Amino acid sequence: MRSLFISVVFALVVTAGAAMKKEAASPPPNKDVKQKPLSLVRVNVTGQPYDYFRPWQKKAPVSKRALGAVLSKGRVLVTADLVTNQNYVELERAESGEKTAANVEVIDYEANLALLEPSEKNFLDGIAPLDIAGDTVVGDRLAAWQLEPTGALVATEGLVTTIQMTKYPVDVGQFLTYRISIPMQYRENSYTIPLVKNNKLAGLLLRYDPRSQLIDAIPAPIITHFLKEAEGENYRGFPGVGFSFFPTRDPQLRKYAGQTGKPGGVYITNVEPNMPAMKAGMQVGDIVLAVGNHEIDQNGNYVDPLYGKIDFTNLISAHSYAGDVLPFQIQREGKPMELKVTLEHRDAKDYVSPPYALDEAPKYLVLGGLIFQELSRQYLKEWGPNWQREAPQRFVYLDRFQSELFPGEHRRIVILSQVLPANNTIGYDEFSYLTVLKVNGQEIKSLNDLAAAVKQPIEGGFIKIETEEDPKQIELEAKSIDAEAPNLQENYGIPSLQRLD
Amino acid sequence: MAPPRPNGPIQKSLVRITATEVAPDYRAPWNAGMLGRGVGAGFVIEGNRIMTNAHVVSNSRYLTVERDGDPNKYQAKVLFVAHDCDLALITVDSPNFYKNMLALKFGGIPELESTVSAYGYPIGGERMSVTTGIVSRIDFQLYTHSSIDQHLAIQISAQINPGNSGGPVMQNAKVVGVAFQGYSGDVAQGVAYMVPTPVINRFLKDVSDGRYDGYVDLGITYGKLQNPAQRKFLGLKDDDRGVLVETVVAAGPCAKILQPGDVLLSIDNHPIASDGNVELEGERVEMPEVVERKFKRDNVKFDIWRDKQSTSGSVQLDTVPPYLMQSHKYDVRPRYVLYGGLLFQPLSLDLLEAYQPTDLRLRHFFDFYVIDQIYREHPDVIVLTNILPDPINTYLAPYRGGIVDSINGKKIHTMDELSQTLAEPADRLVIDLIGDGPPLVLDPKQVEGARERIKMRYNVVREQNLQELPTAKAPDLQTKI
Repeated sequence: MRSLFISVVFALVVTAGAAMKKEAASPPPNKDVKQKPLSLVRVNVTGQPYDYFRPWQKKAPVSKRALGAVLSKGRVLVTADLVTNQNYVELERAESGEKTAANVEVIDYEANLALLEPSEKNFLDGIAPLDIAGDTVVGDRLAAWQLEPTGALVATEGLVTTIQMTKYPVDVGQFLTYRISIPMQYRENSYTIPLVKNNKLAGLLLRYDPRSQLIDAIPAPIITHFLKEAEGENYRGFPGVGFSFFPTRDPQLRKYAGQTGKPGGVYITNVEPNMPAMKAGMQVGDIVLAVGNHEIDQNGNYVDPLYGKIDFTNLISAHSYAGDVLPFQIQREGKPMELKVTLEHRDAKDYVSPPYALDEAPKYLVLGGLIFQELSRQYLKEWGPNWQREAPQRFVYLDRFQSELFPGEHRRIVILSQVLPANNTIGYDEFSYLTVLKVNGQEIKSLNDLAAAVKQPIEGGFIKIETEEDPKQIELEAKSIDAEAPNLQENYGIPSLQRLD
Repeated sequence: MAPPRPNGPIQKSLVRITATEVAPDYRAPWNAGMLGRGVGAGFVIEGNRIMTNAHVVSNSRYLTVERDGDPNKYQAKVLFVAHDCDLALITVDSPNFYKNMLALKFGGIPELESTVSAYGYPIGGERMSVTTGIVSRIDFQLYTHSSIDQHLAIQISAQINPGNSGGPVMQNAKVVGVAFQGYSGDVAQGVAYMVPTPVINRFLKDVSDGRYDGYVDLGITYGKLQNPAQRKFLGLKDDDRGVLVETVVAAGPCAKILQPGDVLLSIDNHPIASDGNVELEGERVEMPEVVERKFKRDNVKFDIWRDKQSTSGSVQLDTVPPYLMQSHKYDVRPRYVLYGGLLFQPLSLDLLEAYQPTDLRLRHFFDFYVIDQIYREHPDVIVLTNILPDPINTYLAPYRGGIVDSINGKKIHTMDELSQTLAEPADRLVIDLIGDGPPLVLDPKQVEGARERIKMRYNVVREQNLQELPTAKAPDLQTKI
């Protein structure tokens, strides 16, 4: 299911100089808005994403303006996508326009949260930090805080209509989300917008659909989880178990699974190798009846004290931490059992096609004009919002069904993404989007494998590349590649012909 | 004074064809289908036959032909249809019909920039229309009627619209092509295509034995051999010769003699250049053109370079059936099995167009069916396309769009196997779909109990059709010459 919501594209054209001038001339914050010193700072970010189609370079820099929520201990909370691929982050006090540089202390791309710290330790002095309000329920009213160019607070109230699990931007699992109906107007500083309840932070804007005027927000329980985890020495991320499941509404399926007793629970359809569920002994066909003390119904919901019925994966992602041991009550062919699952965070690097790769330079290797890369969803997303239809379909297929196609394998898929016309690639220049199987007879399961294999030319000094798709085989001459390398770098402006690790 | 008529009295050859057609409904395959009506053109050729496009007469149940200056409508019958090159021959039994009609003769390939005239009944008008244009381009084109076949086609600048289809394109009183496809006005204007005479002549020769066998195919993919390092690696001389065999379709005729990595040096003693061209009757054409001119059971001979040794091989040409999955089908009843309200159908182009699924796995199985040789494990890719709601299948909606892998542990490869396995007595049916979803479980007793109910409720006349039998036609139209 695709989310109904689209991330909004923001106008990012305000220059810092103009904003400063404006604020210097502006009156102090509007006294009519009842407000202690604002617990907000402006956050100005210059980011520069990597260009996966020209992996040796970065794209043009983009600037983003946003608001950060000031928390205790001099930290500022923003969304991760604001500071992803950042070159420079700057905090700006709303009332004075005073600025300082900031560092990203902790970032969680999956939960879309990041903590900033000003380089000037006392920069945030005098700003009352926001506490977290974790008790929001459906029907509550939350205020979206934005700033006028003058620095005055604009608070817009909205109604929490739904609390449910949804996908976050990097699309790894689902997280708790507030949906709020709100007549909000976008202002200049709108990348991250805090949502506030009784002067406490209840959520951060995740996405906004201006037509339906609905906001999805990262809720306080996810923020609290993130902050608590950030206290620790090594940030581990949100935990997972590594299984797929299906509702047991169908009495035939329950009968097939041998379920006895009252209906309920979910049917396990897949258990991923080397993941917590498998380590705990879970099997396909098990029925999970309860997690901890919470019973799971036939739809996969448990009864949450705050939200009522909600997807049981919330018990794992929001309520538990990596390293926790969670008891799963299951039935296997009618027999009740308890499995103790030790939760782990699954790192993006542990996938065959990593679901995201941010703030890190993409690996590549250019060989005589052939460009080799590793398949990742980050690469596929270069095709834009409709990448699932527009990117090369075999790659989309490999990414989507990776756990089914490469169960338990620790590997990458190496692709020949494109060919730069050069002397060595005459007759090859129309090749693109090929899956590499072997180089010089050696199986290729990572770009490093490929880099090692090309150093061992086969008889006659040739490098032989075998691909899944036509042309099936490509040959180059090793000595000619070396001879032409400086020309290639010069002509295409490639500072280095490879980046591995 | 009458204007000059360089092509002669075309009215004496041109006919207007009206076809009443029934297109199968892949979403309700037990129904006869949707009734439609189309108008096209045709022309009389020797042997009291009328040539037109396949798409004019496809799926037709009733055909009539009219001629200029005659108030009668004559019932016509189809003699031969060639869906792969969009040509058909029909005839009229009425003895009076061909009286005073003139059979048109065929010419060759017209020169680029020379003027041609197209005759027909564009947008359904009752009177003959003539448009003229020049020959713009001669090249291989996709024939959209089947949507997988590529043959020579001639692009002309004459205006061609629906209703021109099947009409002759003339030059110097000879037919140089049959108008057959163009673009809608918002894509490109003044671009129309005609089937040229080499394709027409091949069709006429193919049917001369009383049946149409269709185009044959090598069932291989090949690539150019222009890279010096690759040529050196393969041990080839620097003589710009040879193409590299990339994929050999196991179900194709070349599987016996070719393997990936082979270099084809010549075809029927015509040297193959490294860009895939051969010289044929003084013209440089692409290598498959040699095969285009051949017929089923003809032989083709290759000189092959394998492991730096030369060898040769010859194969008898044939059609490559897996390709048909990706082509449009006409004049056949769709295959399906309905069981417990679950509708199973084999994946095909027509099925995809009827349901427009966005499912990535389905699209992958379709796109890579031949090239990844998926047909070897799944001769039929059996899709659970729809569920007719009934109390026995209330919870099965999430399984829709799945591809059948096995039933009660037994792999299912074809629709026939599916039908047989579903009919075998069993306490329960466990249908595994491809992927890591849950099994689909049914109780055969419940299914049996619901059969009549589902048939009645959804007006299902037949619960399955396993053969792509030609659609029923009036008995007198079945005869072939």
